Amino acid sequence: MNETFFLTIISAAFVTLILKGSFIEGSKYIQLPQWFREALEFAPPAVLCALVVPGIFKGEIGLIKEFGMVAIDPRWIAAVVAISLFLKYKRTIDTLALGMVVLHASYWGQLATQ
Amino acid sequence: MHDHQPVNLRRCLLLGMQAITPFLPGIIPFGLIAGLTPITLGYSWIDASLGSLFMFAGASQLAAYQLLGQESSIWVILVTVMAINLRYVLYSASMAPYLSAAPRATRLLASYGLTDQIYAVCQRDYPLHTWQLSERIAYYAGGTILLWILWQACTLTGALMGQIVPIYWSLDFMIPLTFLALALGTLKSGAHRVAAVVGTTVSWLALDAPMNLGLIGGGIAGIISGILVKRFHS
Repeated sequence: MNETFFLTIISAAFVTLILKGSFIEGSKYIQLPQWFREALEFAPPAVLCALVVPGIFKGEIGLIKEFGMVAIDPRWIAAVVAISLFLKYKRTIDTLALGMVVLHASYWGQLATQ
Repeated sequence: MHDHQPVNLRRCLLLGMQAITPFLPGIIPFGLIAGLTPITLGYSWIDASLGSLFMFAGASQLAAYQLLGQESSIWVILVTVMAINLRYVLYSASMAPYLSAAPRATRLLASYGLTDQIYAVCQRDYPLHTWQLSERIAYYAGGTILLWILWQACTLTGALMGQIVPIYWSLDFMIPLTFLALALGTLKSGAHRVAAVVGTTVSWLALDAPMNLGLIGGGIAGIISGILVKRFHS
């Protein structure tokens, strides 16, 4: 464990606690401003989507680190399949499991045909 | 509360546990992922458990670990964690009328233990009963303690599993997959879809920005465009 890691987790925990305790700690009930409520509404799709992007386009997965590159990054194929599956069936855990299966299938399939 | 029955803390504690139980199976896979993926990013099982222990906020834990793995600046990580956890302010505001009369230490513990699940059951059940403060706290504690123990146990199990899983399984890819599924689950209107598309596009265009700043840019641009589309339509 290094210092940066520890500092990051502690600060992140502090930020989380402040948000969770913001109103429970404050004894008076204050009305949240309108812009904040609106921001709150769109934060999940905007931020979660923004988070997906580096996970799919940045760095390398373990498969590629261990066995080398293939023509099409298997993460892209897995992401496309996962998106279609989720939009059709709306099942989170199944989407995760099948996403992982597609990741491996598309990697090993490409490696075998190279 | 004159016609109130005698205070029954044990009953409220059990009611809280009962109310949270239907949510428990759903958190098991996420707890496992939250423990497992930090290991695949090179962290120890102790490191992996610290996130669950200190933050106790699933999606933001995953984000923090993914970004740490990509060597993002601490500020980018904190802003991201804040953005993901912004919803707790709303929960906190809804829970305040029921809990803010509690002693300080209790309030602090309740804040730490606030989750999507306990918020949902309290919002449903508090208005239905004429409970006193201590009974509301017992109910909250019952649900939260059960959820907390399961979450910590799953994280620890995931972390220990992670140590025997080879790198090439690429289980760290489960983080973006999880975010993908969570993000797609929030697209309930046209404005939400616009927020998602703009967030994705800006984040992708700014992929090479230092310290993962593109992420913050994408988040802000997405939020603003969602708000604008909603205002334009109404």
